[in-house]
Amino acid sequence: MQNFFQILVSGISVGMIYGVIAFGYQLTFSTSKTLNFGQGEALTLGALVGLTAVNFLIGVSLGNLWAYLIALPVVFAFGMLQGTVVEWLGVRQAIRTKSEAGWIMATIALGIIFKNMAEHIWGKDPIKFPSPVSENPLTIFGVNVRLMEIIIVLGALAMMLGVELFNRRSIYGKAVVATANDRDAAGLMGINTSQVITFSYGLSSLSAALAGVLIAPITLTGANMGAALGLKAFAVAIIGGLSSGLGVVVGGLILGITESLTGFYFDTGYKDVPGLILLLLVLSFKPAGLFGKTAIKKV
Amino acid sequence: MLIKKGILAVALSALLGSTAYAQQTIKIGLSGPMTGGSAAMGVSMRDGAKLAAAEINKAGGVLGKQIQLVERDDEAKNELGVQIAQELINKENVIATVGFINTGVSLAAQRFYQEAEIPVMNNVATGTLVTKQFMQPEHKANYIFRNSANDSIQSAMVADAVKKAGFSKPAIIADSTNYGQLGKADLEKALAALGIKPVAVEKFNIGDTDMTAQALRAKDAGADVVLTYAIGPELAQTVNSVVKLGWKVPVMGSWTLSMASFIDAAGANGEGVLMPQTFIQTPSTPKRKAFIDAYQAAYKVDRIPSPVSAAQGYDSVLLLAAAIEQAKSTDGKKIREALENLDKKLEGVVTNYDHPFSATDHEAITANIPVLGTVKGGRVVPANPADLEGANALRVKPKS
Repeated sequence: MQNFFQILVSGISVGMIYGVIAFGYQLTFSTSKTLNFGQGEALTLGALVGLTAVNFLIGVSLGNLWAYLIALPVVFAFGMLQGTVVEWLGVRQAIRTKSEAGWIMATIALGIIFKNMAEHIWGKDPIKFPSPVSENPLTIFGVNVRLMEIIIVLGALAMMLGVELFNRRSIYGKAVVATANDRDAAGLMGINTSQVITFSYGLSSLSAALAGVLIAPITLTGANMGAALGLKAFAVAIIGGLSSGLGVVVGGLILGITESLTGFYFDTGYKDVPGLILLLLVLSFKPAGLFGKTAIKKV
Repeated sequence: MLIKKGILAVALSALLGSTAYAQQTIKIGLSGPMTGGSAAMGVSMRDGAKLAAAEINKAGGVLGKQIQLVERDDEAKNELGVQIAQELINKENVIATVGFINTGVSLAAQRFYQEAEIPVMNNVATGTLVTKQFMQPEHKANYIFRNSANDSIQSAMVADAVKKAGFSKPAIIADSTNYGQLGKADLEKALAALGIKPVAVEKFNIGDTDMTAQALRAKDAGADVVLTYAIGPELAQTVNSVVKLGWKVPVMGSWTLSMASFIDAAGANGEGVLMPQTFIQTPSTPKRKAFIDAYQAAYKVDRIPSPVSAAQGYDSVLLLAAAIEQAKSTDGKKIREALENLDKKLEGVVTNYDHPFSATDHEAITANIPVLGTVKGGRVVPANPADLEGANALRVKPKS
């Protein structure tokens, strides 16, 4: 039983990471029906900018934890900016011309450019990210867990709650919700929908960048760290449903936990299989995702 | 018409010019990953090979010509390795190639060299199959050579260390690449020869960040030692997961446990792991001292990212250059024949070479050459310092 909880905990922390990245997909999809396929690279850049900031702050003799906390706003600001750039260069034109696929190619292309930039600036080798907290495991009810894994879960939840609160409580958030519900109607009501879309792209990259600095201390930072995660998160977004914020979180947890459980109880070589089978099942029986609303597209 | 003739003349002169240029240098291909998880090995191998080429060129080159290394990044991808092989053979007209870090890339790419009758010196890839892919008598001649310790040597050393330390229930954790899976098979074979059966055999993919499930399965099976076959970043995740479980268990594995990316990412968790090493960054012979000094001076580093790869990269160019000199030709067939009967005694970094290859034996490194290394204070040191002291320092291939 103890083993089960041990596996569950590691599945949850992996799943939360998938969830945060997938949340980024959901943010832009709800407002603009487009996605940033460079989400994995946004994660990479966030982690690498975080690495530079943390190392600089440790250099001016700050403790690891303070350095990490002070670096966070820098990473957030960078993520926001990076997402804005993606929207300006890759998506805006496609939305205006109502292009069906232009934004797909554009965001993929931008992702490749960002990755090459990262390789150029930070080199191609994976680098160790200084851990803000002790790396020794804690034992809670017989389950060993690293402090950073708890922070991953809390950080991811805080991020999603923050966005949810913003959407429900603030006037700007209501503009986002209105745009998500019906972009044309929101536009007629005087909401600057193109600004809302830009903002949602910024927020989307911000959440990816947050995911980057959250996992960096327990993995390695490098130009290639985001590629596999970005793809997994895309599967999560499909499973959970692109139109539901709650759906992607649950989708992330489902994928993370099934991966870990299969690895432990079945065979570590087949870890990725059940998640992908689930993906296929969802696509055939509920294409809008487990929590998604089926949209009727009138032609 | 006149213009056409002009173009033809220009093209012709360019063509002549390029052949004239080709005659002034001897082109040797170099293929290895300069990016991704294997990059530390590829870059160290390249830098070691460049040192050897520079030394040879300074002393007058080979056959009176300068060696030119044509470097390519195969990104540890099989398909890219294949493309590069074709480019190096057909476009760059290399007369031989050194490199291949990844067994999978080596197995996929070297058949093109075999077909073109161009010798390949595998200086890092360790898969046992690498030199046996084109064995006689099925093939007329084998163009594939190696100067790294192959997996059957390494797994036998690891199995031996398991037995000597009195462990009886090893768990194997390997990655899903050709390297990890072929190595895992070798390890199982070597353990079986000693009457040991692993209690758990686990697998993970490149890029995985959480090995809790694998480590927990091994722990649950009652393993008393963890054996690994993978590369740096994932090895670090493996020992981190083992330590996270609060499981105090010794870790041993293939030579990749010496990679800087493993040592840095595992930190304190990586201390004390054991692995076979053909070269440890310590000046145990004058040649090794000169090599370490030259490497540090040329690339401004203190710790070589992958010392084994650097040393073997250096030796591979040395061996090829000697063979070309002996063949008195850049013809692949003649170079192969010279390698198989190399008369010059060579002082290398890993070992001294005296007829390292024969027509049937294409492995320069034998089981007696590597020593066990361990990680101590963020560096690889000999596990038993006596292994590299005095007369033990230089271990050479026994005469057949």
